[in-house]
Amino acid sequence: MEATARTRGPGWRYLTAFNTAVLIFLVTPVFIVVLQAFNSGLFLTFPPEGFSIRWFVKFFTSRHFMAAFKVSLRLAAYTVVISSIVGTAAALVLVRQRFWGRDFLSAAFLSPLLLPALLTGLALFQYYVLLGWGRTFTGLLLAHVVVTTPYIIRTVTAVLQNFEVSLEEAARNLGANELQTFLYITLPLIRPGVMAGAIFVFIVSYDQFPVSLFLVQSGFETLPIYMFGYLKYSFDPTIAAASTASIALSLIVVLLLERIFGLHQFARL
Amino acid sequence: MARPALTGRPATESRPAPPVPAGRRSRGTRLLLLLPGLVLFLAFFVAPLSVMIAISLMRGNPIAGDPIVFTLEHYRRIFGDSFYMRVLWNTIKLGLVATAASLVLGYPLAYQLARTREPGARRIMLVAVLSPMLVGIVVRIYGWMSILADTGLINATLMKLGVLSRPLPLMYNEFGIVVALVHVFIPFMILTISGVISGIDESLEEAAENLGATRWQAFREVTLPLSLPGILAGCLLVFSLTVSSYVVPILMGGFQYMTLPILVYQEIAGIFNFAFGAALAVLLLAVGLSVIVLYYRILSLVGQGVLQ
Repeated sequence: MEATARTRGPGWRYLTAFNTAVLIFLVTPVFIVVLQAFNSGLFLTFPPEGFSIRWFVKFFTSRHFMAAFKVSLRLAAYTVVISSIVGTAAALVLVRQRFWGRDFLSAAFLSPLLLPALLTGLALFQYYVLLGWGRTFTGLLLAHVVVTTPYIIRTVTAVLQNFEVSLEEAARNLGANELQTFLYITLPLIRPGVMAGAIFVFIVSYDQFPVSLFLVQSGFETLPIYMFGYLKYSFDPTIAAASTASIALSLIVVLLLERIFGLHQFARL
Repeated sequence: MARPALTGRPATESRPAPPVPAGRRSRGTRLLLLLPGLVLFLAFFVAPLSVMIAISLMRGNPIAGDPIVFTLEHYRRIFGDSFYMRVLWNTIKLGLVATAASLVLGYPLAYQLARTREPGARRIMLVAVLSPMLVGIVVRIYGWMSILADTGLINATLMKLGVLSRPLPLMYNEFGIVVALVHVFIPFMILTISGVISGIDESLEEAAENLGATRWQAFREVTLPLSLPGILAGCLLVFSLTVSSYVVPILMGGFQYMTLPILVYQEIAGIFNFAFGAALAVLLLAVGLSVIVLYYRILSLVGQGVLQ
């Protein structure tokens, strides 16, 4: 790349060896979970005892696991829709309009990302109890929307700052009204940012633990909370199958959106 | 008004206000777009946090309709009791150890990620760093439990081979908690530092070498000091994430090890002691904020050249 490509000394080789070990450390637990899900034995040993899908059968036929799985999917889907609309609308104003206090507001809107999620969940739980709402699905949904909207604001802002305002101006000059300009010019241009944010929000909401911890109703747990409760008392590989299904789901969501919308367009974000 | 379309001007980062002609009314309707976000932010983020802080200063249970008296007694109780002080110290100690370990393990990887010239190697490193972040935290902890538990991969294999007669204590202690904390939060360290290092011109190191420095000296005297802001930001991020982590210490500690987040959960969701739980939560918040203050203090010292 550079004009003067320096040769790499032996130091570089030590660096590579050290970093390979760190990378193995990073991927091992995930790899182990998948291995365990397909292992026939109750405990994983090396070498593995044999191939089996019994844990997947147990997961997909368990009423409790399936109920939690559905709660998580429903919650993540609603969260994506609401966060995307609220976040995109806010980003449009924060980038395109000038008004008093705009910079402060932009920073404030991102602040839920800085606060430990456990505290957000706890504060909301106390708040709901004081309001007499208690633990409800709506309350949980609003909590997820609060912690995920900043992601949409961030990705949409990034896209909005990188396209020419003159495109919108041209449309207006050619007689398009504000709504038409938005639908035919702005929206297609910011779609990559919205989609990137939406994928992120789906995964964050689906895997959300600390915010949900205080707010789930018993009997209507999300999958991560149900898995946590299950791990307290038993340690069988049904959890591994549930985890592997979740990993596969994340992959499918990313790949599906890549096929439909072309994720590569905004991989650089 | 409209710029000529084909000037080929590159898009600039910051631009002046859009010169779109907009009447007062349309400007007002556009600001309305901000309303849902603003309401959400105020009603479900600012208000609950304010309420939490207020409750921590109150006596009596507000749900039971007790008379409201403002008091510092909850804070006095925390600071006057050696149990709570030990829990606070445990939490900070875990945060410090996990942050230090993440820095030592993560810095070399961040350096290579920023400096490698092979796109293939870069992609492998990025995928390995980012992919665990896409896997839920409970799943990752379950992975570590499968490896480190008494019946986990390491112990079960060694016992089957007859190397061990009793399992090694790899989990249900500080060691297990730190291993999992580092695994969960090290990507933040790596990505933060790597971003700063890739912004440092490599020719500075070359210049140092041309002036007679060895490779190691050039790194130590040039790149390392210049990457200090990244190190600080990464440490800040990892520390604040580790001290507020709930699921890692509770599962890896086997419900034995007590940290501030675990205590907060017990007080509030377990025994509904709202006021005292809120005071503990404010303490947790203060630990995080004090690190941020420290960060800016150190950063300004670096800026003045005191630390170089």
